[in-house]
Amino acid sequence: MTTTADLDRSSTLSPATTSSGACVELRNVSRWYGNVVAVNDVSFTLHSGITGLLGPNGAGKTTILHMMAGLLRPSVGDVLIDGAAATSSPQIYRRLSLVPEREAVQPFLSGYEFVRTCARLQSLPNAEEATRNAITLVDLAEAQHRKIGTYSKGMRQRIKIAGALVHDPMILLLDEPFNGMDPRQRLQMMDLLRELAAKGRVIVISSHILEELDDLATNVLVMVAGRLAASGHFREIRRLMTDRPHTFTVRSSDDRRLASALLTDPTVFGVELTTSGLVVRTTDRGAMTRGLARVARDARIRLVEIRPIDESLESVFSYLVDR
Amino acid sequence: MSGPLNNTVMWLTWRQLFAKRRLWLAIAFALAPAFFTLVFRLLADDGPSSEATFFGTLIREIVIGTLLPLAALIFGTTAFGGEVDDGTLLYLLVKPIPRWHVHASKLVVSVLSTIAVVAPAILIPGLLLSGPDVTTRGAVSYLAGAALGALLYCTVFLALGLANRRALVIGLLYVVSFEGILSRSLPGFKSLSIREFSLAAAQAASNGAIVIEGSVSPSTVWWMGTIILVAATYWTGFRLVRYEVAERL
Repeated sequence: MTTTADLDRSSTLSPATTSSGACVELRNVSRWYGNVVAVNDVSFTLHSGITGLLGPNGAGKTTILHMMAGLLRPSVGDVLIDGAAATSSPQIYRRLSLVPEREAVQPFLSGYEFVRTCARLQSLPNAEEATRNAITLVDLAEAQHRKIGTYSKGMRQRIKIAGALVHDPMILLLDEPFNGMDPRQRLQMMDLLRELAAKGRVIVISSHILEELDDLATNVLVMVAGRLAASGHFREIRRLMTDRPHTFTVRSSDDRRLASALLTDPTVFGVELTTSGLVVRTTDRGAMTRGLARVARDARIRLVEIRPIDESLESVFSYLVDR
Repeated sequence: MSGPLNNTVMWLTWRQLFAKRRLWLAIAFALAPAFFTLVFRLLADDGPSSEATFFGTLIREIVIGTLLPLAALIFGTTAFGGEVDDGTLLYLLVKPIPRWHVHASKLVVSVLSTIAVVAPAILIPGLLLSGPDVTTRGAVSYLAGAALGALLYCTVFLALGLANRRALVIGLLYVVSFEGILSRSLPGFKSLSIREFSLAAAQAASNGAIVIEGSVSPSTVWWMGTIILVAATYWTGFRLVRYEVAERL
């Protein structure tokens, strides 16, 4: 069996797509607050693409994001942005942006003023034009001159993202960016993030809404109790979790006969007959799928559908968190 | 942008300091002494010497003794404290600006805002009561002393706003207990009182137009003022450079 520690002690995500050259690297990073260890010996390297940072509350996700953003120093280890320490110089913020989880945005400013302030603090040559572009990107043009204090939660999220995108950073760190957004806004934001990732941006999203990351993140980092429990593509992580049975639903021309035939297969250790087909549990995914075709052929049963049901991000996440 | 002063940070701080009710409070602070002076002019009729006594008492006790530290306390602690409390300081920290530039910009805006409040509080009564015993030179000297006080108070309160989430309460306790009671009743504390420094500076600038009994010496103002200014500025700058955003932000 491969343990999660073996899997992930040091991992590199998306190494093939490094056209931008932007890179975030954590080397044996630990961070503690007094006696509480928030992050424990975490190493990984991120290149372009979208990476989901997952974990239950208190797992250390926000601490990691803040360390990447240079807002916290690691107690031990190195956090490097393009090879330089994240806390080395404020100039890293020309290449990096953070969208914090906290809703707070200066309520006395209009959305336009907030984004323009971000643009001016970046010393952009044409702050007004960059402001208009960023606001258009997040679809807030109509409400841009209203005070942020009157914005809904979703609108505040979007104006924060506009402020973070105004200087077109190479690295974008987002902490729960979809909070408060309605489904249409979420889809729109996901399209925008995909577009940025395709342009070579490094995007890290911390989120507890797994279904969204399921569609969005090409890779995930799973934090559990301050440690990196797994990293990589979640389906690949699932395949490596050999201590957990793989579960499939199988529909066929004769589910009852197929169930009894499958029980003779040594890799199958559980079959359940349900109204929507058979639920089959196996320890060896590859052997079972090959054996299933053979068993069905021998029993002259026609297979209609084979579908894994525990390879979703949510299943992988639950398995890792429950360990 | 010019040197360590960032125009955008200054504009943002100004908007922050004068947001909501603070603008009305500032106007009330600025005009209250003028109102008291008008009432005095309407009710009292004791001649120029009583006008000079009223003006001196008004400026020393009400403006420099009360309004100046309160205005500096509100502006100084709000400049950082408000942003620390609501988490919006983070938006400044993740920008390509040296953190000490943020501090310098906020300090300048806090000081100018405090001076903007106390200037009308000193000059309007001075104009209303101007005569042989209430001179323009005297009023301007009080303003110079108040400006020094604004600088020192704001430097201290900015540091306090960054150090503690209850900065306003702690600052108020300091103003009432130390500046209001201890420094007046115990002579040894005078050489640590910013109010006394302001009055002594006003006296020194007035070229004899203002006489304050028992004020601290100019050299004490110079040395102690410099120590307070340098220590509080260094501490705030150091603290901001080392400032780490807590998990809850």
